[in-house]
Amino acid sequence: MVEKRTLVFITLAIFIWAAVASAFAGYYYLQSRNYRQQFGETQDSLNGLASNYDETVSKYNVLLGEYSELYGNYSYFVDSNYAKLIEPFGHLVVNLEGNYTDLLNAQKDLNRTYLEVLSHYEMLGQKENVTREDFGSLLSEYYRLLYQLTIKELTQAITKTVTLSVNISVDYGNGTVAWRNDTQISASSTLFELTQEIATINYTYYALAEPGHVLIDSINDKATYVDPSYSSGYSWIWYYWDVDQKKWIAGPVGCDAWLLKNDGIYKWNYEYWSWP
Amino acid sequence: MDYPTISEYSMNTNRLALLSLLTALCVGIQLTPRPPNVEFTSLVSFAAGAAFGSWAGAFLGGMTMFINGFFSPWGHAGLNMPFQMVGMAVAGILGRVYKRFAPNEFSSARFCLETAILGALIALIYDLITNVGVGIQFISAGVDPTLALFSAVAYGSFFSLIHILSNSAVFGFLLLPFTSALNSLKVGGFYWSKKERLSS
Repeated sequence: MVEKRTLVFITLAIFIWAAVASAFAGYYYLQSRNYRQQFGETQDSLNGLASNYDETVSKYNVLLGEYSELYGNYSYFVDSNYAKLIEPFGHLVVNLEGNYTDLLNAQKDLNRTYLEVLSHYEMLGQKENVTREDFGSLLSEYYRLLYQLTIKELTQAITKTVTLSVNISVDYGNGTVAWRNDTQISASSTLFELTQEIATINYTYYALAEPGHVLIDSINDKATYVDPSYSSGYSWIWYYWDVDQKKWIAGPVGCDAWLLKNDGIYKWNYEYWSWP
Repeated sequence: MDYPTISEYSMNTNRLALLSLLTALCVGIQLTPRPPNVEFTSLVSFAAGAAFGSWAGAFLGGMTMFINGFFSPWGHAGLNMPFQMVGMAVAGILGRVYKRFAPNEFSSARFCLETAILGALIALIYDLITNVGVGIQFISAGVDPTLALFSAVAYGSFFSLIHILSNSAVFGFLLLPFTSALNSLKVGGFYWSKKERLSS
């Protein structure tokens, strides 16, 4: 016969075991619920990504088809005056604007390029005689814009699901270097967008410059300076850190054309230059 | 002739000094860097509760956690400090309860086994109380009450397991020698108290 005291302690021991086991069961339940939720969110974003991709590609194919038709007419055009093709080109521009209204409203740089194309189109529309070269140039501008808009729309779909972590510094050239480490920014962002995030900047936009349209005029009120003779001055130059070569590499394109990498390291230097 | 002028749980200078010594010991150990959830305060509070009464044990445990709340190597306890104090006070009270229901004589092995289970129970109760404290902080941050309390208990289960196992070992192996030492000190205190009275 087991005495009452022993039974009490056995009961206590079982109670402790049951309580700990229940807590662990609760822990695994919560973890499994969290994982299911995360999995669901990931699945939703992947579905969204696939859906956006389909939509963008369909739009691109339709616009490219219209462009291709006009390009065919242009290629085999027998007359020397291409003014007759200006009206069909107007339809292309209207369709482009209609399909990318939101993107053009959101992306100032692309909108400015679009306005440049529109202005070029309107200018040719007023001319009685349009040469093959003039119209060819207009078509090329349109195609580049269409391509840029498509790329931007595709990358924006990724932006919604991926966030990058980057490091950037600003060297003011007077011994002051400000670092912004582990800055979170959406995927497909450019160095220009990152710089706008971390500093107050002024810039000049060159719509037809490539690749990249932006030239930085000042960062945090530190303005560039060009000697009146244009032979020397101070400018904001950007660099990226090359992990393989272990050195800073000067930016090969405009900052608005350079897409950021996860864990990328960038810097802006206020530098003196002279020419020749 | 005996001098039962001091009731069993009333405080005289010697007992107060011994209790202060235990509190200092507790605080010292509590503030020493050690593995998480391995502690000796509940052991000392339990023993103090058994030796000096539930109020003394509860006071020792509560006060130690109060001081620990400010100076712990793990950082400031914050809003969880009152829950830690209550949790450790329970250890002191259970010490008295155990002594009350303990048989007059039983084997050391059985004592160790019983106190190991009690050590685990005390750790479980302490963790439950402090996890409720964490849950209340979640609630004040806007989390649904049921989810907050459930999450606090569930996510604390790993730490609870460490606490329960370590406390069970600490009670099982250390309570017997610690209680013996404490009794010797108490008896010695009473002896010297009696000598003083005889000589005066």
